[in-house]
Amino acid sequence: MIESECVLLVQFVTICILHCFQGLHCDSTFFGAMDNLPDQRNVNGESLLQQQPCLLEFISSVCKCKDADHAILSFTLKLTGLLAATEQGFRLLEEEGLLACAFERGGWCAPDLWHEPSVRSGWLQGLLNTLNHRKALEFIRENGLIKVLLHLQNDPSLFVSSLANEVLVNILNFMTSSKMSNSSDAAGSTQCPMGPDWVSVSSEIIRAGVEALGSEKHPQVIQALKMLSLVLSQCGEPIRSMLWKDVLVPLEVLINGGSGSLTLPLMNVLQAAVRTPLLSQSDCKVMELTEAMLCAGNGKDCFQCAVLIVTLEKCPDVLKRKAINIILLPLRCLSTQLQDIAEKELEIVLEKQLSQKSSCISLLLQSLSGITELAHTKYPFEDLQSVTRSVMLLLRICSGHLSSFSPHRISLTHLIGCCKVQRCGLDTLGALSVYKENVDLRHEVFGVLLEYLQNPDSHATVLKKALQAAVRWIDVWSPFPDLLQFISRDLFPALEKRTCDVRWEVRDSTLEFIAQMTAALRGNTGYAEVLHTSGMFSILLSSLADVEGYVRASAVGAVGEAVTSLVQQTELLLASYLEEILSRMMAILSQDTEGFPRRAVVKAFTSWLKGPHPLPALDQSLSSVLSSGGNDFDWEVKIHTLELADVLMEKTLTCCPYAVQISSSPDETHLTQALRKLKDLGLLDLLLNSLFDCDRPVCEKACSLLLKLRTLAVDIDRCDVVLDVCGNRWGDEVGSRYLNKLQAERNLLSIKDISLPDVVRLLDLDSMQRTLTLSSDHVVNSPRSLMEDILLSVQQTEENIVDCY
Amino acid sequence: MPEIKVTPLGAGQDVGRSCILVSIGGKNIMLDCGMHMGYNDDRRFPDFSYITQNGRLTEFLDCVIISHFHLDHCGALPYMSEMVGYDGPIYMTHPTKAICPILLEDFRKITVDKKGETNFFTAQMIKDCMKKVVPLNLHQTVQVDEELEIKAYYAGHVLGAAMVQIKVGLESVVYTGDYNMTPDRHLGAAWIDKCRPDILISESTYATTIRDSKRCRERDFLKKVHETVERGGKVLIPVFALGRAQELCILLETFWERMNLKAPIYFSTGLTEKANNYYKLFITWTNQKIRKTFVQRNMFEFKHIKAFDRSYADNPGPMVVFATPGMLHAGQSLHIFKKWAGNEKNMVIMPGYCVQGTVGHKILNGQKKLEMEGRSTLDVKLQVEYMSFSAHADAKGIMQLIRMAEPRNMLLVHGEAKKMEFLKDKIEQEFNISCFMPANGETTTIVTNPNVPVDISLNLLKREMALGGPLPDSKRPRTMRGTLIMKDNSLRLVSPEQALKELGLSEHQLRFTCRVQLHDSHSDSETLGRIYTYLKSALKNYGVQHLPDGTVIVESIVIKVTSSPEEPNLKVILLSWSYQDEELGSFLSTLLKKGLPS
Repeated sequence: MIESECVLLVQFVTICILHCFQGLHCDSTFFGAMDNLPDQRNVNGESLLQQQPCLLEFISSVCKCKDADHAILSFTLKLTGLLAATEQGFRLLEEEGLLACAFERGGWCAPDLWHEPSVRSGWLQGLLNTLNHRKALEFIRENGLIKVLLHLQNDPSLFVSSLANEVLVNILNFMTSSKMSNSSDAAGSTQCPMGPDWVSVSSEIIRAGVEALGSEKHPQVIQALKMLSLVLSQCGEPIRSMLWKDVLVPLEVLINGGSGSLTLPLMNVLQAAVRTPLLSQSDCKVMELTEAMLCAGNGKDCFQCAVLIVTLEKCPDVLKRKAINIILLPLRCLSTQLQDIAEKELEIVLEKQLSQKSSCISLLLQSLSGITELAHTKYPFEDLQSVTRSVMLLLRICSGHLSSFSPHRISLTHLIGCCKVQRCGLDTLGALSVYKENVDLRHEVFGVLLEYLQNPDSHATVLKKALQAAVRWIDVWSPFPDLLQFISRDLFPALEKRTCDVRWEVRDSTLEFIAQMTAALRGNTGYAEVLHTSGMFSILLSSLADVEGYVRASAVGAVGEAVTSLVQQTELLLASYLEEILSRMMAILSQDTEGFPRRAVVKAFTSWLKGPHPLPALDQSLSSVLSSGGNDFDWEVKIHTLELADVLMEKTLTCCPYAVQISSSPDETHLTQALRKLKDLGLLDLLLNSLFDCDRPVCEKACSLLLKLRTLAVDIDRCDVVLDVCGNRWGDEVGSRYLNKLQAERNLLSIKDISLPDVVRLLDLDSMQRTLTLSSDHVVNSPRSLMEDILLSVQQTEENIVDCY
Repeated sequence: MPEIKVTPLGAGQDVGRSCILVSIGGKNIMLDCGMHMGYNDDRRFPDFSYITQNGRLTEFLDCVIISHFHLDHCGALPYMSEMVGYDGPIYMTHPTKAICPILLEDFRKITVDKKGETNFFTAQMIKDCMKKVVPLNLHQTVQVDEELEIKAYYAGHVLGAAMVQIKVGLESVVYTGDYNMTPDRHLGAAWIDKCRPDILISESTYATTIRDSKRCRERDFLKKVHETVERGGKVLIPVFALGRAQELCILLETFWERMNLKAPIYFSTGLTEKANNYYKLFITWTNQKIRKTFVQRNMFEFKHIKAFDRSYADNPGPMVVFATPGMLHAGQSLHIFKKWAGNEKNMVIMPGYCVQGTVGHKILNGQKKLEMEGRSTLDVKLQVEYMSFSAHADAKGIMQLIRMAEPRNMLLVHGEAKKMEFLKDKIEQEFNISCFMPANGETTTIVTNPNVPVDISLNLLKREMALGGPLPDSKRPRTMRGTLIMKDNSLRLVSPEQALKELGLSEHQLRFTCRVQLHDSHSDSETLGRIYTYLKSALKNYGVQHLPDGTVIVESIVIKVTSSPEEPNLKVILLSWSYQDEELGSFLSTLLKKGLPS
């Protein structure tokens, strides 16, 4: 925001509030607008206060008002903090006694407002805004505000307590930053020696943290752990080491105490500590504590802990392996490998957990997500294939195919049909496809996936996951010749049923999958034939008439990919379908009531046009696509049509073999021919009509394409393509500009035709492009607009009842 | 004690965006996942990091429930499920599931249109999110898992709007979403069972208002449109594709029919057909009148309302046009507005909320000169009208719902703090229940005392009455003794005899025994006689008997005396008593330990 405009804005806001804050009704728009103001971090508080002395009056009035509104007080506190962010601004406010008035407890005349969380939040935000120089910190210390901050750490409001933590951490961090030293010597020093006052402040905060860690009140412990994580991740030395030294003992007590509900916050602390140099200092015991976390607790928590440990970036191999062993334990327990397990104590816990439905599910989810995390980093599992097999086994148990299987007499019937585990397991199976070593398991993997695809009871979300996993494994299988046999014999029959599923979600996911698979197997000689001979292509065509718009769009995408695949391999096969495909695509584009299928059609045409093998007979349809797409009532269809126009233009004007050959030497005839072809296809009308569309993105795209046309056709001035003004939307606009120009030349004539070079010249595309880039249809966010809105809302005498949609 | 926790992340003392977290019986449920229309940065979505860090929402949440299709209730859903990452189930009614993606798509297009907008969901994300949705039927209990069940009730706010009851074991919460207690032109009134939830979480938009009837507002609207058309002016009504648009269409269609008006009415959006189809498809969700007339004529098949072409905007003469989008910030509606703004005969009617910074917001605030693209200025001469048609329960309606559901506690959301305060006092006074109004981020904890219903056998009641007990009265609680049988998922209190008989068990008696040693030079039988005499005098109100078999009996307590030939003066007194006389037994053993009076 420009500073001068900002000054004006603040003035208006404050004047408005000053005059009406007593009777102001809660207008969310008004406060929303004010809320944007403190985001402007570069406000020069001093100059603002000098130019706008009414601000001082405003702060004072609000703080002294007995029945001030809490939202206005909150805003005032934030604003005061912002103005005090510079030393000069701070001094001015201090001289007027306004800092004490705003931030000292009991400074306001409406102390009851402290009960409002928004006011406490505003107070904290205000203090946070001031924390930019030494004086602010002195103010906080001298007025005993640290105590208030420590108290607010345990505020009942999540927002307030979290903000209080942020302010405390900022104070600790700030004390060691260069801002604390005098500006003269700040430049050279990266660390500032702490004076005795600051030692006392930091000690107070650290002491409170240590006490809270030892507290019996659970929420206090959690807040202290949260602060600890923040300090470790945000503060530098010496604070980090000072704090760690003091919290080490209570931290050990907490870890060895093994309270399950603290696992996550404790692991967050350790995660933060691992990222610091504390990790390499043996007396800091970071790894010891992490290992203790894994071993302590009631067994159940160690699984959660193990999942968190494997996500640590820097983790000693021994510990990581230990955590991985624990993660794999539940899955091993399902298979027959449990006798190898060293952790016999865990075995008992495990059996108990696995035999109860809810704990069994949560345990397996943790185990699976741990494996997925590891697969994302391509962790070298020692027994990768057995891990993969365990996941498959679990998936088979969940689908009910192995209900009688139970190596340890644990009844696992409760897992049958459990969507949560199925979804997570399929995600994990998909993730395991990254390992090349797993390629031998492809048949088994697809065996499991097929079971899911064929099972009529599979939930739609589960099927989607199965298909997503299948796409990843198709990629693994694609180099092998037996893939095609599998697709034609097993996969397509299963998918065929799914394309007729009563649930649109399933039909859609299936079609999306077919499109993805076809794209992945592009260039595979046999696949196109399988697509044809299996009858799948006909099924895709029939899906174009689905009742659900989303499904029609996915069908269009799948047909688009299939056509690309067929045209590359078996053009002859395609020929029999092509006419039908094009007519059905055109019917969707011109008649479909939903935007998604229409967008998909234009995208399909674009991809066909882009492809290396031109589609026969495409040329005849292009003109209709450009015309229908350009007149669509969904602006995104228009944008896609302009993208198609872009490809067409590029192909026509720059490269062979499509349509017109342009020689490298400037050849007027060729250029004119090319442009005439574009005109005949309706491309030029599309660009010009779109330039005056009511949706800005369409205008912007059209303008950029006309500019591109000017660049591509360097000799456009010499071409003799003439455009018909009448009967076109753009005609009025261009016609009137033309007439104005002619009038200026005192030549009063009516026009019917204008040459293309004239049109391009008349339009002043560069200036149009500038305007279009600057403007935004959505919301005008300029300070001027904001001011106008605020002023008008205050002047409004009649209350508009807030319309809540 | 079991407790229920409610934390609003949005809608706590505001009407911005609804997102309320409920923890009940170890389950975590998110109620609505709305977007704040007033912001265009990250603040438009709820901050999910307060729920759980590292995006582990799927592990934490058991389900998400969406009350209706308005964006302040569902707008953040694709962000949450596809960008933050939530893979669990999302519940909403069938109409909401059908309509929600249209509005999300509409808003996405508007938002991405704006420069510099990032971190916003795509059309694909909306679709993927909708695939996770499980549709709900009214009054059908859906089992989320073995413990958690939900049930939807009619809310009457918009098509498909639902209130929802969440139940875990015996604890329950009802969330109203937005609701309306008075039927309007196409929707019925909200209704719920007398389900006596532990907490009723209610919206409180019009907490202090008794609103004039919607009929008055509708009459006013028709009058304004009619007057403008009569004087040859054009009326522009900017709308979003669904919701308010259909309501106003029915209104104008009926009026045109009745008054035999000829001026054309157009609907500009291409979505009309689809939107109207949804209203046809979900006819059962509309009100009785629409359902009844459906047999003769479908109210959503309009005779007077035709599709609009942009060239019609320049046609001479009066006309009424419904155009999207609703806030006059882009597209067709803005295009028409620019053409018509300069003529004072014309009128624009804004039937809904407008975000700050939009043309809609500016003209509603009375701005007469608008700066348009390219620094050109647009004079606003046409008449600007604002009409609120929002269908929320007013204070009277909220009280009516409380009477219907009879909750144990109330919790107000989706309203302004001051107004909530007023209603809170009123509720506490009238219903004598606690009412809470947490701010965003504040947690309200309610300790529940779940009542366990138990059947009592008639025999037991008769026996109580025979012993002189009062007649059973549901308003006067009292203690009953008996044996509790837990069988076949039911609890029954019966007499011990009946329990033994029913369960085929034989009775056993539990006796306590104790030995007390004392020195007495008399013979064993004399010592027993001395004990008898002593107890007879010490326990005047009890029946003490000296039996010929060498025992003294006090109630169920049996006392015997033995000694060994080696130490005849050391007497061992054996005491034995049954469970019922435990106190007396202990007393006697203590008494005898002190020795016999000489």
